[in-house]
Amino acid sequence: MKNIVDLSIDFAGIRLSNPVFTASGTCGYADELGEFMDIDKLGGFITKSISVKPRKGNATPRMVETDSGMLNAIGLANIGLDRFIEEKIPVLAKMKAAVFVNVAGTTIDDYIEVTEKLAGENAIAGFELNISCPNVKEGGISFGTDPVQVADITAKVKKAAGDKKLIVKLTPTVTNISETALAAVENGADALSLVNTFTAMVIDIETRKPVLANRTGGLSGPAIKPMAVYLVNKVYNEVTKNTDVPILGLGGIRNAGDAIEFMIAGATAVSVGTASFFEPRSCERIVKGIEKFCQAKNISAVRELTGSIE
Amino acid sequence: MTRPFLFSVWNRIMCDDGSKKGIFEAKVNSNRCIGEGFYRVNLGFCGDGARLFAGFIPGQFVEIDLSGAPLPAMDKIPEKLRDASGRSIILRRPFSLADVEVCGDVVNIEILYCCVGPASLRMMELKEGNVVSVIGPLGNGFDIDKNKKVALLAVGGMGAGPLQHLARELAKIPGMEVVAFAGAQSVDRLPFEKPFGDFSARPTLCLNEFSKSATKSIVATDDGSAGFKGFVTGAMESWLDSCKAEMKDIIIYCCGPEMMLATMAEIAEKRGIDCQVSMERRMACGIGLCQSCAVECRKKGTDETFYKMCCKDGPVFDSREVVYTL
Repeated sequence: MKNIVDLSIDFAGIRLSNPVFTASGTCGYADELGEFMDIDKLGGFITKSISVKPRKGNATPRMVETDSGMLNAIGLANIGLDRFIEEKIPVLAKMKAAVFVNVAGTTIDDYIEVTEKLAGENAIAGFELNISCPNVKEGGISFGTDPVQVADITAKVKKAAGDKKLIVKLTPTVTNISETALAAVENGADALSLVNTFTAMVIDIETRKPVLANRTGGLSGPAIKPMAVYLVNKVYNEVTKNTDVPILGLGGIRNAGDAIEFMIAGATAVSVGTASFFEPRSCERIVKGIEKFCQAKNISAVRELTGSIE
Repeated sequence: MTRPFLFSVWNRIMCDDGSKKGIFEAKVNSNRCIGEGFYRVNLGFCGDGARLFAGFIPGQFVEIDLSGAPLPAMDKIPEKLRDASGRSIILRRPFSLADVEVCGDVVNIEILYCCVGPASLRMMELKEGNVVSVIGPLGNGFDIDKNKKVALLAVGGMGAGPLQHLARELAKIPGMEVVAFAGAQSVDRLPFEKPFGDFSARPTLCLNEFSKSATKSIVATDDGSAGFKGFVTGAMESWLDSCKAEMKDIIIYCCGPEMMLATMAEIAEKRGIDCQVSMERRMACGIGLCQSCAVECRKKGTDETFYKMCCKDGPVFDSREVVYTL
């Protein structure tokens, strides 16, 4: 008889059935992954970025594979707020997982508009503030690298979010991530997503041109995992440890072991991104794998893993 | 009680949007070299996979996970691929199909491929009995227009695969004349089974893969080492010049390098011939999640453009809607 493991977690005051989320931009708007796995097995679902107006995205090539990773510069292509509300909210409303809408914009007012218009939707639990996309000319990462701007946008969007929770997603492409993390936490962030992709470049040596049309992109996949684990642990130790602000850890998670590593480093929950591209059932498998690990180690509740680093 | 995990998610098939696809295990039936750098791998499906793949439309594709397959021995890796061979891959690779064969409860698919990088090098090492993970069928295939009287296939390089499959389907339509124009840089770069037939008479039955479906084929080589000297597009233009059929009764199906597709689109436009092109883009997922494989398209009647996804909206497009990247 196997011992029962409590996989549920408390995430910024929301009870989730397990600690596994999809990562924004890797699982569509709502039910796209449903063709391959049971979406209700997720703890949390984070939508693709939504902006006020539709965005057509960057020119191609938008993606190139790298050693154990991939570089992308999609450019926040999305259907825009109006179509999202009309077409996707009804689908999201049926989801058992806690739904967070990833919000993108070029000005603070854009972020506020999206947040305000969605704040009354019962289908969603909260927002993930994307101030860390490296692939757009305006907005995105430009807000996320300066602690003063992080403080300002976090406070304003938190106000617009009303009762809904606000996760702030940070970029690793800064000198000291604890500064931006602290700015977010002190200004009302209910949780932190750590980390977005690393700004990177691949050059074709024959043409001497960058492979991506955008020249640079965001690096994701197993290649960035050790760096992401380090940053989660750093922010956990320096910023969130003695607060009730949870960390949603992400960066190269492809199996349960990777997810557990992030939790030991300090994450309360984890997001799976790139792995869903090559194994669309990754999230479901990771939930099961975490349960097995806990059973084997006689861990009665998965939350015991968080910050258990020796 | 917990059900075995693999069983519970295996072969999940949904058809909300009318499309049917899933993740299946396929068994390698054979994997053989048909010429320098060119291979044909045959994969078998049973159960749900067989049911879905039996309805595979020419031009659709699959995504294969080759990340766990071993590399060939160093001496079998072409020198120009040795640096790339050491790169660890994570993403699946998209492949179109050259053939689909239903044998009772089993469905076998055949893929024509060439060795170009770390994934196809691993594919080269697949042995009979190996098992690979395949996602499919994916995308929208060629839209077969049964009202046409003449179907012309513009085959560039590895476009040979899906157009062989298409030729077999077109051959089933009574009264349809089908001619394949296959191009390569030189005779030894033609990705077809040898020996080739006689190139001198045109159109002829020189390529076995097309002859099998009674499709005439015309070969064009850039260097003139076989057939028409020049590009496929030139060979087709000269054929069209002496063709007696009305342009509205002709349709062109293309698969090959984007430059060839763009030229074919122009030729078709100029002559008023319907034309479908199968596009190729870098894909991370192939299932509409990553948005990498954007194809720029024109809004009808305007200069405004927007992006469609090669994996979900394509890979086959009407030649007139695409803004080609040259």
